[in-house]
Amino acid sequence: MIDALLDNIVSMIYIILGGVLISWSVHFVPVGGAPAAMAQATGIGTGTVQLAAGAGLTGLVSAGFMMNVTDNLPLILASGAVGAMIMIAVTMIVGTWVYVYGVGCVPSSAKVKVDPITKYRQDLYVSQGTEGHGLPTVSFVSGVIGGLLGGIGGALVYYALIEVGLKAGLTAGTSSSVTGHELVGIAAMFAIGIFFVNAVIPSYNIGGTIEGFHDPKWKKWPKAVISSFVATILCAVVAVIAISQLGVI
Amino acid sequence: MEPLIGMGVLALIGVAATIAGASEDLESDVGSQSNPNSQVQLAPQMMFPHRIYNKAVSGEPPSNALMCSVGAAVATVLISEFTLSPLFALVIGALVAACVHGTFAVTSTMGRAASQRRFKQPVYLDMIRSHTPVIMGYAFITTFCILIVSYLMTVVLGHPFPLTMLAFIWGITVGAIGSSTGDVHYGAEREFQQFEFGSGLNASNSGNIVRYGESGVRNGYDNSWFCAKFGGPVTGIAFGMTVFLGSWVTTVFDPAVSLTRGWFSVVAGVIIVLILIIWNWKIEVKARNAFGPYKEDKTEEASA
Repeated sequence: MIDALLDNIVSMIYIILGGVLISWSVHFVPVGGAPAAMAQATGIGTGTVQLAAGAGLTGLVSAGFMMNVTDNLPLILASGAVGAMIMIAVTMIVGTWVYVYGVGCVPSSAKVKVDPITKYRQDLYVSQGTEGHGLPTVSFVSGVIGGLLGGIGGALVYYALIEVGLKAGLTAGTSSSVTGHELVGIAAMFAIGIFFVNAVIPSYNIGGTIEGFHDPKWKKWPKAVISSFVATILCAVVAVIAISQLGVI
Repeated sequence: MEPLIGMGVLALIGVAATIAGASEDLESDVGSQSNPNSQVQLAPQMMFPHRIYNKAVSGEPPSNALMCSVGAAVATVLISEFTLSPLFALVIGALVAACVHGTFAVTSTMGRAASQRRFKQPVYLDMIRSHTPVIMGYAFITTFCILIVSYLMTVVLGHPFPLTMLAFIWGITVGAIGSSTGDVHYGAEREFQQFEFGSGLNASNSGNIVRYGESGVRNGYDNSWFCAKFGGPVTGIAFGMTVFLGSWVTTVFDPAVSLTRGWFSVVAGVIIVLILIIWNWKIEVKARNAFGPYKEDKTEEASA
């Protein structure tokens, strides 16, 4: 087992790096939790883990497809990032439609007086009894950055796990059956698991709502990243041993 | 694969995803799930007993992921072990998933209503009997469409992930999108229609949901009727766009042909995202001008 870990040390580093990137990415995603669903807080009206996982896993689907046709690591990471960015950008633009046309409120932040990107005044547009609503430009851009980092992180973890399996003599790639290859299924399962672990850890930092990188809570990210670093090492050890043992049998 | 066939399959996937998104949102409106349900749950405690179905099995992404994975697992067994035709297998899989979801819906709404006895919240058995089949119906449509998307991606477009894995991932994604887009229409507008339009929910009005309908006492049907006009369709567009655009870039610029084409697909994706950022900014400016500031600028007054 120790040999398996030492043989796959580069893959382990990739997995840990991916986990840390996912953890950092979650801080960028503007989530308002339950209050945002009632236009009571700025951000997207859902939970941190759920949105980050939704975006990151969409990136994983794109990266999985790309890995099928090429083994160029930068391209695989870029396609994972693009998949996640598209998902989160589409969700946010449709969210804006609902906030502006369906609910009738102006996208505004309650954490800053002016939007750092557009320089628009925010405090005058926050309605009474709420902590902002909708997605001002700064939150939108922050969300896209979150998708980018999360997509790269998820793709990196998946790529590393597939590499471990290929080294152990398993096969990946297209399969005509609905069950697919054993390695692809297990690598995807571990990648999703590692994604969830690293999406949950930062949500303790965020505590339900964060508006993006301009939010004071964002500055707390080093704590979550260090915790994720430790947690991902444990995940990586289990995943690498499990996948490399699969090849032995 | 021929690019034209690839585009045709992609169009079919986009349509199925759009229907899945719309039915997912309406399912969560008729049964009241996810974040807006916090207000339905809170209402009796604020002395507003109601007749709205109160099922929050879990957050929407996990509950949809469960539904889709159950359906896909059943379909996979039927296709690979019993060599059943894929269409029948997907229908049976979706049916089993809808039954599982119906069970969760009934147990959660009964448990939630019963636990609020001290706040005089009744358990409306007729409401549970009438709403549960609708919830199961929407759950069936969602699961079936997600299974179609996953099946076409696995078998026709040659995605390496197994059917169940893809169905799980798309289940998480459709739940995340439904909970972030369409549910806002239900939570911020439909539940609080008695307050001024465009004000968001003032924290002091929490729990004071609308309990009387256009005729009689409001129930989940009235909510899905309203949300089907805007919240449901836009959720469908959001999920359809996510699935379609995510695959469109690699279908038009096929990375299997050359590495350069692969990079073109990345560039195309980034351009789409930039267009969406600009679109959001345009809507923001329009809304600021149309709705105007809510407060007077005190700093300007002080300086004047």
